[in-house]
Amino acid sequence: MTRLAMLGLLAALVLMGCERDAATDTGLAEPGEAAGGFVQARPGTTLRFPEDHGPHPDTRIEWWYLTANLEDERGEPLGLQWTLFRQALVSPAERPRPGPWVADQAWMAHMAVSRGPTHRVAERFARGHSRQDDGQAGVRARPFAAWLDDWRLESRVDDPDADTFAELALLAHQDDEHGGFGYRLDLTAEGPLVLHGEAGFSQKTADGQGSIYYSQPFWRIEGEVTLDGETRAVSGRGWLDREWSSQVLEPEQSGWDWVALHLDSGHKLMAYRLRGGGEEGGDFLFGNVIAPDGAATPVAQGGLRLTPLSTSLVAGREMPTRWRLELPAQGLDLVVEARHSERWMATSVSYWEGEVTVSDHDGGEALGVGYLEMTGY
Amino acid sequence: MLTALATLLSHYRRHPGQLAMLLLGLWVASALWSSVQAINASARDSYARAEALFSTGLDRLERRDGEPLTRDDFLRLRRAGLPVSPLLEGELETPDGTRLTVIGIDPLTLPGDSPFAGGTGDFLTPPWQTRLAPDTLPALAVTARDAPGAEPRLPDGRRLPPLTLAPSLPPDTLVMDIAAAAALLDSGATLTRLVSAADALAEAPEGLVLTRATTLVAPGQLTESFHLNLTAMALLALVVGLFIVQAALGLALEQRLGMLRTLRALGVPGRRLVGLLLLELVLLGLAGALAGIVSGVWLARALLPDVAATLDSLYGAGVTAELQLPWHYWLGGLAVTLGGLLLAGSGVLWRAARLSVLGLGQAQAWRTGFHRQLRLMAAAGTACALLGLALWAWLARQPPGEGLLAGFGLMAMLLLACALWLPPLLALGLAGLARLARRWPLVQWALADLQLQLPRLALAMMALLIALSANLGVSSMVGGFRLTFLDWLDQRLVADLYLRPPAERYDEIHDWLADRPEVEELLATRRTDATLLDAGTDATRPLNLPVGLYGITPGERLVPSWPLLSTLAGREAAWQAFRGGAAFINEQLAIATGLAPGDRLTLDARGRRETVSLAAIYPDYGNPRGEVLLATPRLAERFRAPPGSLGIVLHGDADEATLRTALGDRLGPDRESLLDQREVKRVSTEIFERTFTITRALNTLTLGVAALALFASLLAQARERRRQLAPLWALGVPRARLVVSQLVQVGGAALATGLLAVPLGIAVTAGLVAVINVAAFGWRLPLQLFPGEILLTLATAVAVALLATVLPAMALWRTPPRALLAEEETP
Repeated sequence: MTRLAMLGLLAALVLMGCERDAATDTGLAEPGEAAGGFVQARPGTTLRFPEDHGPHPDTRIEWWYLTANLEDERGEPLGLQWTLFRQALVSPAERPRPGPWVADQAWMAHMAVSRGPTHRVAERFARGHSRQDDGQAGVRARPFAAWLDDWRLESRVDDPDADTFAELALLAHQDDEHGGFGYRLDLTAEGPLVLHGEAGFSQKTADGQGSIYYSQPFWRIEGEVTLDGETRAVSGRGWLDREWSSQVLEPEQSGWDWVALHLDSGHKLMAYRLRGGGEEGGDFLFGNVIAPDGAATPVAQGGLRLTPLSTSLVAGREMPTRWRLELPAQGLDLVVEARHSERWMATSVSYWEGEVTVSDHDGGEALGVGYLEMTGY
Repeated sequence: MLTALATLLSHYRRHPGQLAMLLLGLWVASALWSSVQAINASARDSYARAEALFSTGLDRLERRDGEPLTRDDFLRLRRAGLPVSPLLEGELETPDGTRLTVIGIDPLTLPGDSPFAGGTGDFLTPPWQTRLAPDTLPALAVTARDAPGAEPRLPDGRRLPPLTLAPSLPPDTLVMDIAAAAALLDSGATLTRLVSAADALAEAPEGLVLTRATTLVAPGQLTESFHLNLTAMALLALVVGLFIVQAALGLALEQRLGMLRTLRALGVPGRRLVGLLLLELVLLGLAGALAGIVSGVWLARALLPDVAATLDSLYGAGVTAELQLPWHYWLGGLAVTLGGLLLAGSGVLWRAARLSVLGLGQAQAWRTGFHRQLRLMAAAGTACALLGLALWAWLARQPPGEGLLAGFGLMAMLLLACALWLPPLLALGLAGLARLARRWPLVQWALADLQLQLPRLALAMMALLIALSANLGVSSMVGGFRLTFLDWLDQRLVADLYLRPPAERYDEIHDWLADRPEVEELLATRRTDATLLDAGTDATRPLNLPVGLYGITPGERLVPSWPLLSTLAGREAAWQAFRGGAAFINEQLAIATGLAPGDRLTLDARGRRETVSLAAIYPDYGNPRGEVLLATPRLAERFRAPPGSLGIVLHGDADEATLRTALGDRLGPDRESLLDQREVKRVSTEIFERTFTITRALNTLTLGVAALALFASLLAQARERRRQLAPLWALGVPRARLVVSQLVQVGGAALATGLLAVPLGIAVTAGLVAVINVAAFGWRLPLQLFPGEILLTLATAVAVALLATVLPAMALWRTPPRALLAEEETP
């Protein structure tokens, strides 16, 4: 469910300058498969794997979103992000016939590596057609592969009968004036996939709109990361989000705050706050507490509180980089704090995304690490 | 104050001829200047737009073997992490026959700072968008109002994607998504080239050639000299026009001296009088300048298509055929005209300011003043000549091809010096003749009378001199160039047929032709881009110049006629060395680099580096680039240059038609690339003729202006002349003799002017050929003179003068003698 804000922002990017009102053909008036419209995310959808690891071109937007909290051999923490976004350029009914250059999908990939005050970001775009899988960018469900140019997240599982998503390799590199940055990582799933919301349907607004959202929060990661030309061996934990939807942010929804946390207890915790769009114009909150065995406990509106504690000036904006996350029913009262405030993603759609530490609100003892994303500031 | 102004202006009511002459001078000067500035402004706008388009800011990748790139190449390179973007370029013909460039881009991968990066949904998906500048619309028969969203139909019935206006695009260019362009151009998965941000790639990927953006010359650089040429011609017209203006102003002041004194005597302060005269000047200037700018724009609109065609054929620079005028153009035109007018009128104002209230307006007194003026003119002329001499001395020490501005300066000084010397020379000549003619009173009177007229005729004669010599100079240069160029074409185009086979069928067609009995030899050519790294006697002087590498086959038919300008040890030895791997370079490159036969060059092309020796220099008219010539087999083997055109030399008795038919069948749809020699010559000659259309047009207009100047000054004083002739008639001189003496007087002065214009014109030709052309184009032409042109110059001078005398003479003929005497009595 995380980056619903991204969805709206990406739509704004790709449809930039386009007079077509994105909201008119999302089927808000006619939920479901309106004639010519996009397929809507609906409760009761049964997810099937590995097929659903692949793209859903009949929905407006979709992403494969990996964040990781790693440490190098000296114990210095670093974070990384790799994301592939898909945006449909036309509705399924208007889809043009495939041709060498004909596109019905636009792809966007972001990568970032962060350590201390250093934060390196890169962004790439590609066109594609939903009926071709040999393009500059794309995703294939089996054996799993998601790529844009030479940035690639793909299965390391050779056995066609085994779970293609259990072991992945991530490879990406960007040259820049600082000497280049990138990573070459092996990902191993140490737990099951986790479906959020109602069996994967994640409600986004009080009036029942939403997306299909599942995660793999149990990645163990080994490999090497290059930052400013210097390569170090790293290891740590990763979280991969999968989400697709045909909704865009509603006008009253100004943005998004999301956390995905790896607690030292082995629990995983996801929480988001959609600013606006809740009951009577309030915030819409949702969370998921995941036990070490993968058992998920959704926490609905009212079951959690996500409150900014202090802000930092980042890229000319006041960003809340220290938060209090309270889940009274689970007995959790946490402080989530950015390791460094300079984590602005100065991409075509800009946002804040960076590593956080988790500590107990009252005792102050360290409880884990994670990632925080804030959009719409 | 208003009354005083009205009084001053009332002069023109009595002498509308003077007003007309003043306005005419201003109008013509401003019109020619404005039209050239309008052309230059439009062209510069087009260059700026072309440079802003990605093509010049991006590095290019093409295949080493000349085959087209495909989508697979693009995907392969992207998956290897190289930031390349596909670009498709082709041509479409519109229903009215205009050829438009279609550029297909992928905005999602196009480097970030280009205007299309980012793109939009509508741009990327059907029905897509056609982006174009508003001045491209006429070619599609769409009006600006209907343009947004219009889908013009092409001759084959297909429609363009809906139009979207983008004024920053170059003219005659359609930019659209690569998918839409591929559909329109039927290009499938092939690409024209891959592009990347400047210096994003460290080296060319295997099998590809990388051309850096920095080595792609921007059109503005190449065409600067052409525009400087135009500006110089316009300046000439402006100067000639201002001569007329000054003549008219002088006359108007002369005749108003009495009025000015009266006004002073009535209590109008001297300063106010000067202010009023200044106001009068500004009013006249505004009227003349506005009329001039309006007609200048009209003239520019008429000339621009020719200029655009010239720039396209000469430099490959696309220039819009529609005028694009920035706001400062209008202000600039007004400022230049007014500035020129004030300069021309400054003498008049000076004299008015020093006006003596008591002085008498006597012709004799005025003549004394004129004598002083003549001495001043001679001194100023000498100063100009000395300045010109200094420029010439400076230019002589510059490397050839430098100093375009100094060259123009030199010629301007030469023209000015001669123009300034003309009145003193004429006065001297008249005085001498008058001494000789002591025995013939009437002749003596005529000479003395001409001396009296000289102050008023002088400026018009000066304008005529400048126009005549510029005209002679430019037409001799163009004529000489034309002969040299046609000769050179004959020497270079030795094959009977020229063919450009498609790359994939090249070997097949070549072998087939080689076996044909009609064919005597095949002259294969190849071309590629290269960098001239180092040169000099030991190839160590770094140059890093982008040059063209051109391969020719030194065949039996070609070698004897291919022109060479300089060799190390004769033609025979040069060709021997060429066959053995030595290079020739064109004159442009030789002038730009100072290389001479015997030097060595290090060339880098398609990733290969090679040092060759330089055996000869050849003329290469019409080519904007430096070029290195090598034997085709060597170019193919050492630099892997892709195959180019084939020259087919036939046996003397071969049947060309049979071969053409057989070749046409063999080529199928590719037969369009077959051209015969006559066709190539016709196209080349046509390009040449167009190149100088604008030069000729401006030249003729300038001469027309000078003729008008003379005509107007003679007409303006016709009335007064009649008054002076009346006593002679009264003394018994027949009217026929008076009329003839009039014609001889002015005709003689014009002939003297024309005679001075001849050597001056030849000097101008020499300057154009030896300095301006070398700096502007990189070619030196032999100096050629055309007696016909010289005679025409003289005849023009005399004819203009006589025509301008005949009208007043006719009036004299018809005027009753009593009226003449009456005019004498009433001053």
